[in-house]
Amino acid sequence: MTTADPPRLGSAPADLYEAPAPSGPYPPTEEMLAEPVKPKLRGAQEDRLRKVWEGPKGWRILSDVNNQTVGVWYSATCFAFMLGAGVLALLMRVQLAVPDNDFLSAGTYNQFYTMHGSAMMFLFAVPMFEAVSILLLPAFLSARDLPFPRLSAFGYWSFLVGGVFVLGSILFGVGPQSGWFMYPPVSMQEEGMGPDIWLLGLSFIEVASIAAAVELIVGVLKCRPPGMRVNLMPLYAWYVLVVGGMILFAFPPLIAGDFLFELERALGWPFFNPEKGGDPLLWQHLFWIFGHPEVYIIFLPSIALTAMVVPTFARHPIVGYSWIVLSAVGTGFLSFGLWVHHMFATGLPTMSLGFFSAASEAVVIPTGIQLFAFVATLMVGRVKMGLPMLWIAGSLAIFTAGGLTGVMVAVAPFDWVVHDTYFVVAHLHYTLFGGFVFPVIAGVYYFAPVVTGKMLSERLGRWAFWLSFAGFNITFLPMHLTGLVGMPRRVFTYPGGLGWDWLNMLSTVGAFVIAAGFAVLAWDLIRPKSKEPKAPRNPWEAGTLEWSADPDESWGARSVPYVTSRYPLWDQDEFVERANAGQGYIPDAPEMRRETLITSVIDARPIQVLRVAEPTWITLVAAFFTAGAFILPVFHLYTLAGVSGALAIATVVVWLYRSARDHPEAETKDAGLGLRLPLYVSGPAAVGWWGMWITMLGDSTAFASLVFGVFFYWTARPDFPPEGAVHADLPLALASLALIAVAWALTLGARMLNTRGRPWLATLCHAIGPVLTLAGGAALVLAVRDLDPTTHVYPAIMWALVVWTTAHLGVGVLMQLFCLFGLLTADFGPRHDAPLWNVALFWHFLGLTALVTVACVALLPRLL
Amino acid sequence: MSDEHPAGGEEEFREEEASLVRITLGPVVWMAHFIVSYAATAVVCAKLSTDELVWLRMGIAAATLLALGTIAWLGRRSWRQWRHGNEDIWEDPAATSEDRHQFLGHAALLLAVISFIGVIYTALPALFAATCR
Amino acid sequence: MQRRAGTTTLAAPVRRVAPLALILLAACDGPQSALSPGGEDAIQLGWLFWVMLAGSVVLWLFINGLFFLVTRRHPHPMSRKLAEGTIVAGGIGLPLVVLTSLLAYGLSIMPHQREPGDGLRLRVTGEEWWWRVEYWPEGATEPVVSANEVRLPVGQRSDLELHAADVIHSFWLPGIAGKTDMIPGRVNHISMEPVEAGTFRGQCAEFCGLSHALMAFQAVTMEPADFDGWLAAEAEGISENARQAEGHAIFQEQGCGACHALRGTEARGEVGPDLTHVGGRGTLAAGVLPMTAEALADWIAHPEAFKPGVEMPGYNHMDEAELLTLATWLEGLK
Repeated sequence: MTTADPPRLGSAPADLYEAPAPSGPYPPTEEMLAEPVKPKLRGAQEDRLRKVWEGPKGWRILSDVNNQTVGVWYSATCFAFMLGAGVLALLMRVQLAVPDNDFLSAGTYNQFYTMHGSAMMFLFAVPMFEAVSILLLPAFLSARDLPFPRLSAFGYWSFLVGGVFVLGSILFGVGPQSGWFMYPPVSMQEEGMGPDIWLLGLSFIEVASIAAAVELIVGVLKCRPPGMRVNLMPLYAWYVLVVGGMILFAFPPLIAGDFLFELERALGWPFFNPEKGGDPLLWQHLFWIFGHPEVYIIFLPSIALTAMVVPTFARHPIVGYSWIVLSAVGTGFLSFGLWVHHMFATGLPTMSLGFFSAASEAVVIPTGIQLFAFVATLMVGRVKMGLPMLWIAGSLAIFTAGGLTGVMVAVAPFDWVVHDTYFVVAHLHYTLFGGFVFPVIAGVYYFAPVVTGKMLSERLGRWAFWLSFAGFNITFLPMHLTGLVGMPRRVFTYPGGLGWDWLNMLSTVGAFVIAAGFAVLAWDLIRPKSKEPKAPRNPWEAGTLEWSADPDESWGARSVPYVTSRYPLWDQDEFVERANAGQGYIPDAPEMRRETLITSVIDARPIQVLRVAEPTWITLVAAFFTAGAFILPVFHLYTLAGVSGALAIATVVVWLYRSARDHPEAETKDAGLGLRLPLYVSGPAAVGWWGMWITMLGDSTAFASLVFGVFFYWTARPDFPPEGAVHADLPLALASLALIAVAWALTLGARMLNTRGRPWLATLCHAIGPVLTLAGGAALVLAVRDLDPTTHVYPAIMWALVVWTTAHLGVGVLMQLFCLFGLLTADFGPRHDAPLWNVALFWHFLGLTALVTVACVALLPRLL
Repeated sequence: MSDEHPAGGEEEFREEEASLVRITLGPVVWMAHFIVSYAATAVVCAKLSTDELVWLRMGIAAATLLALGTIAWLGRRSWRQWRHGNEDIWEDPAATSEDRHQFLGHAALLLAVISFIGVIYTALPALFAATCR
Repeated sequence: MQRRAGTTTLAAPVRRVAPLALILLAACDGPQSALSPGGEDAIQLGWLFWVMLAGSVVLWLFINGLFFLVTRRHPHPMSRKLAEGTIVAGGIGLPLVVLTSLLAYGLSIMPHQREPGDGLRLRVTGEEWWWRVEYWPEGATEPVVSANEVRLPVGQRSDLELHAADVIHSFWLPGIAGKTDMIPGRVNHISMEPVEAGTFRGQCAEFCGLSHALMAFQAVTMEPADFDGWLAAEAEGISENARQAEGHAIFQEQGCGACHALRGTEARGEVGPDLTHVGGRGTLAAGVLPMTAEALADWIAHPEAFKPGVEMPGYNHMDEAELLTLATWLEGLK
């Protein structure tokens, strides 16, 4: 570091209404960083921060939104759901221990296996990534909280209610029983509420997952500490970015599938019914476009945990950082070209299968690179072993076996042998235990001191490891053979004498050994530890930021440090001492508001001090109303569901409006180290704008999946569109498009006019906009009025597009009215224009959606 | 490299976004090639006769060459970005914009390599398993 | 002397390993095992498996051995060059060689696995939870209908056209070939070429509802001459003797013909399996029960007890003697 004057930030804002630019010295010099804080001031700062970040007490803790509290709830809930799904597995193993067993009836067994898969995937594996990330990501980045704490809390409550609902159905014997993949027609034919519970409950949880993904992506992009350029991010942050992106592109196709599925179940629109032009394979495509990336959505975060643990035990920075980044990004992409390998036996053309076989092999390369980068790091390091490393060694042994059988099943002809047999059951459990469960447990043992300040037991940890490792292999290794000698999956019983008896008995015994291992782990987690000594601050001597914070304080980072290394605790002088002495950014909370630092995307230059949310009940209320909207239709209480949905929307509008009009008391504030940062920014500099952008990417993917449906039917069915079919009314459709286009232009115009200091013109635009939007929506519906969606898949899919677009137009109207209200009350204006930016962004996507819908509904069928 | 660049603002965002997006261009080419190959096969096998397979295979070959060429070009550009003034080819991190620039170059190069392999793999079925049955 | 000593030292491990190998080989056996193949395709796929298994074991030992080496045997720093080389060689070099050759091998056997048949055509339809089987020999204008059993001539490639009546099923005969799904609204194909005469077991591999586990079938591969003889007999209706028997009267009285066909009689039901030669099949109720008079009687009285959710109603109102007469008569329809 030079001792010369540091460069200074700051220039006059381009126009009157723009946020003031940051001003002051940046980057800080060594002298500035070394400048001590006076003890008295330090004490006062700590008192203020403590008071500001203190969570609510007693039962009011339920209103908490802070990432540390919500993260712990989230992880504990996932763990509990996992234990529940594990118990189902044990009961299934008892049933399969001997041939012709009648411990469970066929119906019960089918419910159990369906719920075991659904719960492990939707209630454990995917949310566990979100839970761990909400809990730890801010610590990895020395951020005080994530940018949208209320969204995390909303996501958590949605997950909890949805999860209890879905898993609870099993206790009443009404659970879904058509498998976690819900293939129609068998699931369509299923009576009772089982499939509805699955569809609506899990759609609800998928929405919560997407919300978490938005939160985490923005967290990584905008909440890093100053100086942490993209090449210095902890690898976990890279993985969060990749996995968050994958969730945005993988979950929406399933939501689109659920949408079609529920339309068929509730209204008889024949999307999957071949007698009326539908095709059950469309569901399989949509399900697996979600389902295969999902495997990597589960696997990558665990690799990310490993990437945090390995350098610590190698006592050496990771070797091949950019190689690991490459493999994360590469895997993220390639994993979208694998989905048909779940459909190798569906009779698709050989050449089509070949493409997916090829991509399934190609994805092995980035996966292998990650593993070899870990080995390389351990090579150059001075390795010490510890309990987390034991779990990681176990995970490697299991995962490589699962990966190698994965290479085998990716060869399509071999898959024709083992598809839907116990070989695949063994394969997937090897990948999930090795690639997810074991690394997560390694992470639990490793990160426990960060979260609770206490170490977990070494002795119990070893017992848990050896029991679950041995039990796992006793259970699943024989299953490879069970499958090869002919036992199919998803069978509630089997006859004796086919050579399967002893293999199944062995697997059942092993399952109970795994259960014993998990019981030891669970005990280690919940046993009282109040008498145990506090763990040292950095017990493993790690080099990354999460070890710099004091777990007893709820403020997260005492002050936000300036980072110049991937392992600042190893490389930067007196790093922990300085950060904890308040010698970093935002060391104080003079206005008694919760704050975190927002930085730029690539180079993490400080750009804003963001006020983050404090405890509130509104998220809880919103989540329960949303739950009502999703859950009540299962019981055919459509009116109540509608009311609940309307209340959910109203609650969310109130929530958003209250924060939209909460303007900071000053333009800028002292962010520490001589830097003054703005408090209010809008447009692409604001986190809200990024949140909208990312959400709409996901939303557009769902829409694209519906459009894919149109093309799919066209290639798969000779009668699409059927001879002499009634087409949509072309003039009306075009009129609708024109109206929506004008509304779009008005929304954009409103934002631009407002920014130029003409809020009254913007008000006018937003007054006319909703009328045009509603007229456009009405015209669109009228354009398809003569198409009967129950007769054939062609009118049905056209209607589905129209319903989708109309629903979005409804949201668009709400947003226009939201802006209109804010402009009329002068809560929004030229300076405070963030909502106008975000709404205009939404409308860009909405405009494109309407354009594509009109093209598909009114133009395309006339060309086919 | 200008650390003095004023923070925030739309202009910086655009410049920044471009450099993050650039590293994904290799995989995007792979994906485009994959989708084109899959969609063309689906349409030919479903709508046209199997006599058209020879045209399909030639089309896939052409698309493959195009994709490989594009990726090679991207890779060369990333190679320059990475090796620009860089002695040690294994990145050793330091906190300058220069390092970030080179890191993104290296990541883009490695992704180009993976995408190159991916495109070749995608073309193999047209070579070894070219049937609609 | 020396040689003898040599043989004993060699023999000891062999003696120890041999039973183990035998057990393992025996473990691969079974009527539904893909590892004791009796068909051309299954043999090819078996090879594919053994080659991949050997490769996988070697690679597993290599990767985990390396990890053990660097964490336990040699925890001290090694050279950076070596580590970097490991990433390039292990992460790109090794998989490139292994995967490219495997992919080429795998892809190149796919067209052969899906070759069209050259003689007999079968049309198999998956129903909840049984198999409708129709034989269409070359030049036939109408099929020979059977159910829940597939017979194939040895040394010929027969073509199976796969349909589904209600939900998705998957036709899987591991001893002969891989599996292919049966999907409502679609027609799929699989072809099979048995290489030896024998009896195999197949089963539905795609979850198809409550009694998915109870949807199996027996497959019999026969020398072509035997097969032709069998098919000719199968094409016949029931014999005059059988028509006159008391069992037939009970059959008619109970209205069985509403759902089941008996060729050569008025019974033309198509809801359930064709029963013209039901006694000639190896198993009853799609691989669930043995083909004995007792099992038939049990099944007719309480089908739900053996196959939950089955469409066939229980005939437990029939008296014991009547039931047994009907069952014995059915069992005699060979």
